[in-house]
Amino acid sequence: MNQRPNNSRGGMPGGAGRRAGSALILLAALAYLTPLIWMIALSVKPAAQAGSATIALLPRLPEEAPVSKASPGYWAALAAQASANYREVWSGAAADFPTYFRNSLIVGILSVLGMTVSSAVAAYGFSRVRWPGRDAVFVLVLLTLMIPQAVLMSPQFLLFKQLGMIGSLLPLWLPSWFGGAFSIFLLRQFFLSIPNELDEAARIDGCSHLGTFLRVVLPLSKPALAAVALLQAVATWNDFLGPLLFLNREEQYTLSLGLQMYQSQHGGTPWNLVMAASCIVVLPVLGLYVLTRRFFVEGVAGQGLKE
Amino acid sequence: MDIPSHHTGLTRRAALGTLAAGAVGAAVWPRTPRSRADIPSGRTVIDYWEKWTGPEGDAVQRVVDRFNAEQSRVWVRRTAVSEIDTKAMVAIGGGDPPDVVGVFSYNVPQYARSGAAMPLGSFGDASTRIDPGIYVPAVRKLLTYRGEFIAGITSLYSLALYYNRAMFKEVGLDPDAPPRTVPELDAAAERLLVRQGTAIARAGLLQNLPLWWPYFWPVMFGGVLYDPEKDRAVFDDAATIAAYEWVASYPKRLGVAASEEFGVAYNRSFHSPQDPFIAGRVAMIVQGPWLANFINHYGPHLDYGVAPIPVTPGIFDDASPHGMLEADVLMIPRGCRHPEEAFEFVRFTQRQDVQEQLAREHTKSSPLVECSKEFFVGHPNKCVGVFDAITRSKNVLILPQTPVWKSYAHLTEGAFDAVWRGEHVPAVCGAVQRRAQEMIDKAARVEGLRRARG
Amino acid sequence: MSANRTSRGSLATGLAWISPWAVGFVVFLLAPIAMSVYYSLTDYALLDSPVWIGGDNYAELAGDGLFWRALRNTLVFAFFSVIGSTLLSVGLAVLLERPTRGAAVARAAVFLPTLVPVVANCVAWLWLFNPQYGLINSALGAGGVQGPNWLGDSSWALMSLVLMSLWVIGSPMLVVGAALKDVPASLYEAASLDGMTAWGRFRHVTLPMISPALTFNVIMGIIWSLQVLAPPMIMTRGGPDNATLTFSMYIYKTAFEFGRMGYASALAWVQILITLVLACGALALGRRMVYYRAA
Repeated sequence: MNQRPNNSRGGMPGGAGRRAGSALILLAALAYLTPLIWMIALSVKPAAQAGSATIALLPRLPEEAPVSKASPGYWAALAAQASANYREVWSGAAADFPTYFRNSLIVGILSVLGMTVSSAVAAYGFSRVRWPGRDAVFVLVLLTLMIPQAVLMSPQFLLFKQLGMIGSLLPLWLPSWFGGAFSIFLLRQFFLSIPNELDEAARIDGCSHLGTFLRVVLPLSKPALAAVALLQAVATWNDFLGPLLFLNREEQYTLSLGLQMYQSQHGGTPWNLVMAASCIVVLPVLGLYVLTRRFFVEGVAGQGLKE
Repeated sequence: MDIPSHHTGLTRRAALGTLAAGAVGAAVWPRTPRSRADIPSGRTVIDYWEKWTGPEGDAVQRVVDRFNAEQSRVWVRRTAVSEIDTKAMVAIGGGDPPDVVGVFSYNVPQYARSGAAMPLGSFGDASTRIDPGIYVPAVRKLLTYRGEFIAGITSLYSLALYYNRAMFKEVGLDPDAPPRTVPELDAAAERLLVRQGTAIARAGLLQNLPLWWPYFWPVMFGGVLYDPEKDRAVFDDAATIAAYEWVASYPKRLGVAASEEFGVAYNRSFHSPQDPFIAGRVAMIVQGPWLANFINHYGPHLDYGVAPIPVTPGIFDDASPHGMLEADVLMIPRGCRHPEEAFEFVRFTQRQDVQEQLAREHTKSSPLVECSKEFFVGHPNKCVGVFDAITRSKNVLILPQTPVWKSYAHLTEGAFDAVWRGEHVPAVCGAVQRRAQEMIDKAARVEGLRRARG
Repeated sequence: MSANRTSRGSLATGLAWISPWAVGFVVFLLAPIAMSVYYSLTDYALLDSPVWIGGDNYAELAGDGLFWRALRNTLVFAFFSVIGSTLLSVGLAVLLERPTRGAAVARAAVFLPTLVPVVANCVAWLWLFNPQYGLINSALGAGGVQGPNWLGDSSWALMSLVLMSLWVIGSPMLVVGAALKDVPASLYEAASLDGMTAWGRFRHVTLPMISPALTFNVIMGIIWSLQVLAPPMIMTRGGPDNATLTFSMYIYKTAFEFGRMGYASALAWVQILITLVLACGALALGRRMVYYRAA
């Protein structure tokens, strides 16, 4: 794929052009990273330095700290300062972040499991089982992508009220056990690309649909399943409206809701603490991304694939 | 699309596996939430949602602690909830309410009409019921809806004029004779103003600081906002129009851009060391009793006084000041788990000694008819007497008691801004009147339908 | 062979396989939507039961200034956000599509904000936009420019949210990037032989080839930006002066703050209609452009 000359995309030819291109690339990367970098930088500063308009990445240390950056004492003092805010947020009385974290994990694990399993099953039905009306129904699946989530918030709230689930974690993960249009779409595309000969062989070996699904299709679809699982994990971790509407007690808050409550109760004034709380919410997702970038990229890019 | 990573594949897989195992482990590891950790066993736990945080929240917690210590059957667990009226409505509407909610007086009609609150009048027997007669008449009206006693009170407030005495002296005004009428107020504001070119260096008075009560100004001109007898919005009468013409005269005189810039610059710094009144950027401000608390905190040396809100000369009454009362209230939501225990707590909070403790710590006046002598001795709000006089005045109004008040108040926000930018006042007021009345009528019509259906 | 496969399937088998989706579709989507049609014809105080009032809620829309304000805000936001993010995502995708390590890192950097939870995103931007201490105004101040009071000024607040939305363009960028990869190199070679300039190659080769991806991005962008809710809710509560009261925000307020589920349902239906009309319009426009180029 990459045998084209570098400047074939319409970039300026020649060394000057390439340097300008590299500078632009650097600029773009910096522009998009800056808010995150500053969030992290602010999260390790003491309150007095967070309120000033100075632009500095590292916190200034108290006077008595060893001045030389070469001395180990400096780094120890820096680490102590950096962790102070996190300790206060994590174990302070103002909020119960360990509990929020655990709730987010519970909801995340259950909805990832549910979304992956149920979407795979449905996608199999839309790709490797032939039945009349299949493609028409699949168009319906795609159409549901067009329904604005905000429109569903009040009727779904009333639905969960009828089901008596308000005030529990159930409304946050139960729907994912019934598949998601986008995940089904992604998996269907992948299942369709698996050669038919493989199921034929499985069928001759006496496999039912279930056997083919479990023994042939699923093992070959690990990258797509991983993409679905990861995108669902991130979506659940980031969900804010659901917890806001469905959770009532602090002991059930997820991280997103806990962060919003923490932020609005503090009116944003101890910015260093609010940023440390934000980092606690953001860092797990970023860590996951760093470890699994390829699946993310394939999953997201797969959205735009041919209709 | 990816950075080459063949040699890191294995460690990456190990890292992922560890992460996944850790996540599952943390999710199933038994852990007691902090909010449940220190509850003594054998007590009935009731959940109490309250809006306050910080020192005001601590004051409420001290009342809760006192209740928890005074008896051994019930344990009150307070949660600070932001945007509490919305959260409470969602929780009650969803069928999973807390046992006690600390919301606002404007919620009383809304909750009462839809049956979301259990009327306090329905609890207790002859010896344990709460007598609504303990409250000052205006407060009783706030806590009652159509004759039914709905809510208890946690704190009471009315707005008054804070003025900087040092600045009064500086410009030759008598610090012991604060303005009592609107013309006096205008004259003082003009004297206290300091300009810097076209910008405002110090404002005498600006109605857009703070922006929290865009609906308040008609009170100074004899406006009433709402007529409960006829169930009508009152926003396009002569008094209301005069009030907003008066509001509009300030940006007209000071410059729309300059006054907006000034307002925007300080509207985010209330109740902090940068509060415009505490920092000396405005000489006079219309604020509630809580400001005294923040002055004690951030500007203990500020030389200030408090006066009842100035009114037009035609309605000025030296003996009975004007004002409008609002309150923070306690209600017991229908569908809560422990209504009886919730009532026990509410009844405790309405006791005179508890009310006075809370009012003092919130630098407010007492809502009760009976008021101990000690209450005023060393009260942390040195001007509590002014607020107390407003509370007990025959001229005091209460916030409109209609279920659509929140939507109505939301309309006045837009109207205030329009007036500030110089739009035609009668037209703006007329638009609010029409829309507010439409909502009131619709609510009444629906109520009729509901009653007809049984 | 295909006959064999057909014989393996049947309606019942197919339905059984898709049943997880089908049940969820009926319970969590179809039923709530159907119920919301009914609720929109009632007065339904959240704390109470619904009362049938016919078309009253829809009639009320005409005289509701906030409804029109919210509609205007949302359309303005969607217009600038969709155009801005489409242009920016194409620009970044083209810029970052080269096979160097630096470009790969930059792609990851641009994608990263997409993963940041919306609450954390809002918190970060609240601080960036802070008129006194925020990074943006500090940087502008260093350059001698007095920055505006972004979120606190009613003439800047909505545009501040548009600016913030341009930070989250990782997905459209990747979609365009994938489409760029699929453009056959031979087309560029032919264009170069014809003596086309770089712009000409982009205009006549790249753009037509990636237009399905662009159409997809624009449609998703329209759907997303018409329902923007969390940023105004967390950052401005719809203010100042209702300048950031978006449509979804108004629905949320109507339903859960004013407790008017019936009227909120009517508003929701207006939103569904607007979304459908605009998305279908974009689809038709995109189709025509593709066909026009193919012809």
